[in-house]
Amino acid sequence: MMDLFGLDLTIINDVVKELMPIMPQVILIIAAIIVPVFGYGKRKGITAWLSLAAVTSALALTIFLIYDSYSGSFLNLFEFNEFTGFMMLIFMLVLFLVVLISLTESENRKHSGEYFSLLFVATIGMTFVAGATDLITLFVGIELASISSYALVAFRKNDPRSAEAAVKFLIIGGVSTAISLYGMSLLYGMTGTTELAAVADYLAAGDFTWVYIVAVIMLIAGFGFKLALVPFHAWAPDVYEGAPTPVATFLAAGSNKMGFIIFFKIFLIAFVAAQTVGGVPELQWLFAILAGVTMTVGNIIAITQTSIKRMLAYSSIAQAGYVLIVLAVATEYILAGGLFHMMTHVFMKGGAFIVVAALCARGIGEYISDYKGLAKRAPLVAAAMGLFMFSLAGIPPLAGFASKFILFSGAVTAEGTWIWLVALAVINSALSLYYYARVVKAMFVDKGATTEKIRVPHSFKFAIAICAVATVAMGLYLGPIMEICEAAAAAFFAMV
Amino acid sequence: MDFLSSLSIPSLPILPLLLILPILGAVFCFLIKNDRRHTRHMAILFSGVTLALSLLLLYDISSRGYVESESYAWINTAYLQMNLDIGVDGMSMLMVLLTALLVLMVAIFSDTESERSNSFFALIMATQAGLMGVYLAQDYFLFFIFWEVALIPMFFLIAGWGGPRRHYASMKFLIYTHVASMIMLIGIFMLVITAADGGVLNFSFEAVKAASAAGLFTTTFQVVVFGLLFFGFAVKMPLVPFHTWLPDAHVEAPTAGSVLLAGVMLKMGSYAIIRICLEVLPEGAIAWQTVMIVLALVAILYGAYACIAQKDLKKMVAFSSISHMGFVLLGIATLSGIGIQFAIFQMFAHGLITSVLFMVCGIVGHNTGTRDIPLLGGLAGKMPIFAGFMMFGFLASLGLPGLIGFVAEFGVLMAFFDYLMGIDVLWPIVFALASLMLTAGYFTWAMQRSIFGKETTKIDMSNVHDVNRREGVALGLLCALIALFGIMPWLIMDVLAEMPLVLLGVV
Repeated sequence: MMDLFGLDLTIINDVVKELMPIMPQVILIIAAIIVPVFGYGKRKGITAWLSLAAVTSALALTIFLIYDSYSGSFLNLFEFNEFTGFMMLIFMLVLFLVVLISLTESENRKHSGEYFSLLFVATIGMTFVAGATDLITLFVGIELASISSYALVAFRKNDPRSAEAAVKFLIIGGVSTAISLYGMSLLYGMTGTTELAAVADYLAAGDFTWVYIVAVIMLIAGFGFKLALVPFHAWAPDVYEGAPTPVATFLAAGSNKMGFIIFFKIFLIAFVAAQTVGGVPELQWLFAILAGVTMTVGNIIAITQTSIKRMLAYSSIAQAGYVLIVLAVATEYILAGGLFHMMTHVFMKGGAFIVVAALCARGIGEYISDYKGLAKRAPLVAAAMGLFMFSLAGIPPLAGFASKFILFSGAVTAEGTWIWLVALAVINSALSLYYYARVVKAMFVDKGATTEKIRVPHSFKFAIAICAVATVAMGLYLGPIMEICEAAAAAFFAMV
Repeated sequence: MDFLSSLSIPSLPILPLLLILPILGAVFCFLIKNDRRHTRHMAILFSGVTLALSLLLLYDISSRGYVESESYAWINTAYLQMNLDIGVDGMSMLMVLLTALLVLMVAIFSDTESERSNSFFALIMATQAGLMGVYLAQDYFLFFIFWEVALIPMFFLIAGWGGPRRHYASMKFLIYTHVASMIMLIGIFMLVITAADGGVLNFSFEAVKAASAAGLFTTTFQVVVFGLLFFGFAVKMPLVPFHTWLPDAHVEAPTAGSVLLAGVMLKMGSYAIIRICLEVLPEGAIAWQTVMIVLALVAILYGAYACIAQKDLKKMVAFSSISHMGFVLLGIATLSGIGIQFAIFQMFAHGLITSVLFMVCGIVGHNTGTRDIPLLGGLAGKMPIFAGFMMFGFLASLGLPGLIGFVAEFGVLMAFFDYLMGIDVLWPIVFALASLMLTAGYFTWAMQRSIFGKETTKIDMSNVHDVNRREGVALGLLCALIALFGIMPWLIMDVLAEMPLVLLGVV
């Protein structure tokens, strides 16, 4: 028995073991409590560095847990497995990038302590959604993430655009939460349980009833708002445009993925669990149509945008449409492809937003025309932006191509049911090149008004470099990341 | 031969070097900033070594039945198998040679792009990397990557160094061909996934060929997938009615871009039709044969007909490319060994000839300030050497016996006639023959109006000078090759004799 000052140390060992599945979150929780305290001190810069240290250690721990193939559950509410680990990795990476680009601004900003604290709380919510095995955990996680996000969007209190965006976000978010909660309660009323696996068992045995149909509609509508699926997408461009750009990065690269997990958990596990007994073709068709409409509308509206942030917002909607194919096809391979696409999306979309944020910080506007001649003024940043744009458009050999390649190939099945969806996705992806290439052309071909050099802050440079390297590396050498995605997909379907 | 084979170094990994050298060349060219001569020399050096290596490869494999391949492990997961499989046979060897040759010629020829010459030559080398990859790839994933990679530098070449309508032309080129590639991608997915039959998705050419031989592809499947793939390739070739990107892109591109576009990039389409559609989907090919023949005849005639109406010399040459690529498809569509061989011969011939034509157009535009045929006239007086090259190029293109174009078109027509005899319908040959007259017509008419007759007074001819040394070297070398292969076509036919048996034995 080890003891120190008369304390039994094995108890610490036991606590750590008990908490191990949520250890990365525990680090963030502690940081979320401590960091604001420093925000009231004289040296506000310390909050940022403290946050960076916290998120780095949480990220490192997550990677270690994945590397260790750790699995375990906490109070039957949260399960850490390969899938949870993978999603936590995505959220931690996003958080890391966002904290990184918030470093420079935090020096002279009021309330920077609260800012980081809110970021942490939102991420904690998302990670809990990732590991939720129960509708209650799922809902608490969603609310934790959503409410923090409303506050984050409103963070530039004096900017009317930020405030307007936050109000819109809050009202739409609140309504959608209410709708989805109602759907969940119907589900509970039907099945008498909130455990996802038990719900799945019940639904697999039962028939269609009107309650079932109402519940499905409520859930799709409620969570469709969160994911900004067409026709529930109208808030997204306004919010992305109005929010402070680092927060927009966080929402586009991070929160977006939480919506997918909810859809995967509720529909792939609870409803399509009956896949083994023939699937639910009606639901799959519903998702196929939603996917087709979402990607098409997103891409078409993106073409007409002149503001980069709005263009990126609509592109996010289109990308969400691609990932939605996973729900229609519902095989392990395509889930791996969808997860892969979510991972590459973090770096290419996150990278693009970070470039926009970096240029905003140096007084460059948010319109595509403001980017004219950027290649002369900031060659490396322009080159990175070019990479992100081409990657989003799916040009090889970049990451976005690799993940779309896997995702779309997953929908080509021997039966050929979804071939029309693949054709639609592929044509959408081809047309999307138009609006991405327009940004590239503005930067590299068009002549700008000045050739004055732009100096981008170091923290931004570092974040952009990480994204650019990841975008190229995951495209050229997708073996290792694909293996992680395959393991995550296998673990996900093992939860059924 | 013994002496040569003892000279060649078997241990030299030529195949990967053919891909790596252009990439390195692009990087080095890009890094030399603001020094025009040095970047050009760097480009010449790298493309020269690449050409030398491809010649070495030709010697190396000539003793081994013109087949060489190498494989490096790349991606192997539970679901996917994609390896760096590269290789050549007779057909791809010719295309590799053509690419290496034309890039070297372009590097020698180009000096007029004074602005940002480091990026200019870097983009040319990057295009070469993409093109080489397409002709070397033996894996669908790799093939598709290079297929698209070749697109991007060409987009920047047109958008950055092109003519007045370059913004429109570059965007149209990019979107149009990208949409086609994506549709072709569906075809590739279907091929690979059906070939895998529920197992690991193996993207290698070999695996799909094996599945095809094992009869995994039903006739309906073959017809559908042939259609998807053929559409993707047809846009690249391009065939009427999917050709509208070509006149814009070719006219607006800088000379070097036009040469690479017409000389090698269009061949990606026809190469892929032979390599993928015909080799893997023979039943699909038979089902689509009539459509292919009709499309080929339409392209041949429409291209030639459109040429007559053109005022811009470069636009005329662009449309003539459509007509000549129609001959390539006509050869392929006969689905006979001889037809396919001469189709490839025509690809090679057109690559050489059209480069001369575009270089000639570039010189006219640069030296006189206009390419408008009605404004030109009597150029032969001030520019005798130039007129000689132009005449040579035009005559080669219209199929003058003794030059390479004649052999190619003669062979294709022979194969087509042979096919028509087989089905006992002779009249379609009339269309093919009529196009020969049209071609002779528009080329000689254009020559008559631009280089012969009285010297024009519509433009200022006082400062016009003749072909300079670097232009002369590039044009001279190309013309010499056109004559050489015209007189000794067996030099190429020998390489082509060794082709996959499937291709020689279709039907």
